[in-house]
Amino acid sequence: MNDEVFDVLDEQLALARSGERSALAALVHAHQRSVYSLALRMLGTRDLAEDLTQEVFMQLSGNLATIESNRHLGFWLRQVTSNRAIDQLRRRAKVQMTSLDDEAPLFSDEAQPDHLLQRHLRALLSELSAPARAVLLLRFQEDLDPIEIAATLSMPLNTVKSHLKRSLDTMRIKTAALQAVRCEDNSP
Amino acid sequence: MSNDIESRLKAALRPVAPCTQFSEKLVAKVCADRTAQIPPRRLAAAGRPLAWWLSASVAASVILGTGVHQHLQQQRLQQSGLEARREVLEALRMTSQKLNLAYEAVKSQATPPADEQSGA
Repeated sequence: MNDEVFDVLDEQLALARSGERSALAALVHAHQRSVYSLALRMLGTRDLAEDLTQEVFMQLSGNLATIESNRHLGFWLRQVTSNRAIDQLRRRAKVQMTSLDDEAPLFSDEAQPDHLLQRHLRALLSELSAPARAVLLLRFQEDLDPIEIAATLSMPLNTVKSHLKRSLDTMRIKTAALQAVRCEDNSP
Repeated sequence: MSNDIESRLKAALRPVAPCTQFSEKLVAKVCADRTAQIPPRRLAAAGRPLAWWLSASVAASVILGTGVHQHLQQQRLQQSGLEARREVLEALRMTSQKLNLAYEAVKSQATPPADEQSGA
């Protein structure tokens, strides 16, 4: 979001705090994509993601007075979504991932034409621990730097960096292995 | 290779929008929840001046009532005091009249006629 959009949303935030329904709707529209994507990729299913998204925005509705700006709102939403998702994942022994064909794609199709690699990355992401998954999503989906991720997850900076390094190393190795297998299959 | 996996992840992890139906439901629910939170506060805020006016008028009525009551009581006391004073003055006037009459009577008996004194 550019500065102009942020200014407009700051105005909307002020209006929403005073009870303006349309302003609150605009804020939900502006941030729901980020919250929903984070929830979906953390929890793995659309139903759980929708439930979490709704919970987060309902919590926001009660805490609107404490939000100072649109940037703060984005930070708050990411923080609440990540923490709630991590809690849910910790409560469950294993996340039940539904069939890849039944669910909405976790990765955008237009951006990733290689569906096999897409599934592979999806599987790798779901294998990560909840905090590591949150770190990776905040880094590559939300485009936050490690310092911002550390603040969002209330995690030491070094832990964030080590999660990032370990996850990327694992993904790199496993992706390379997959590509090697595919090369072998394609060779005459 | 490191940059390769990072760029692939970045491209793959682009945010996805929730379905329109859910999005609409979400907005409606959040707005309804927010609206439900606001009316009691607004009601309270709106009720505050009314309650203030009610309290103020009750207090003013009590003060005014007490003042009027005290004023009337004082007037009644003053009236009865004046009445008592008038009665005392009337009593004094009557007493004075009686005393004057008595004095006249005593005076007329004590003084003999002038021919009686000279004939003796």
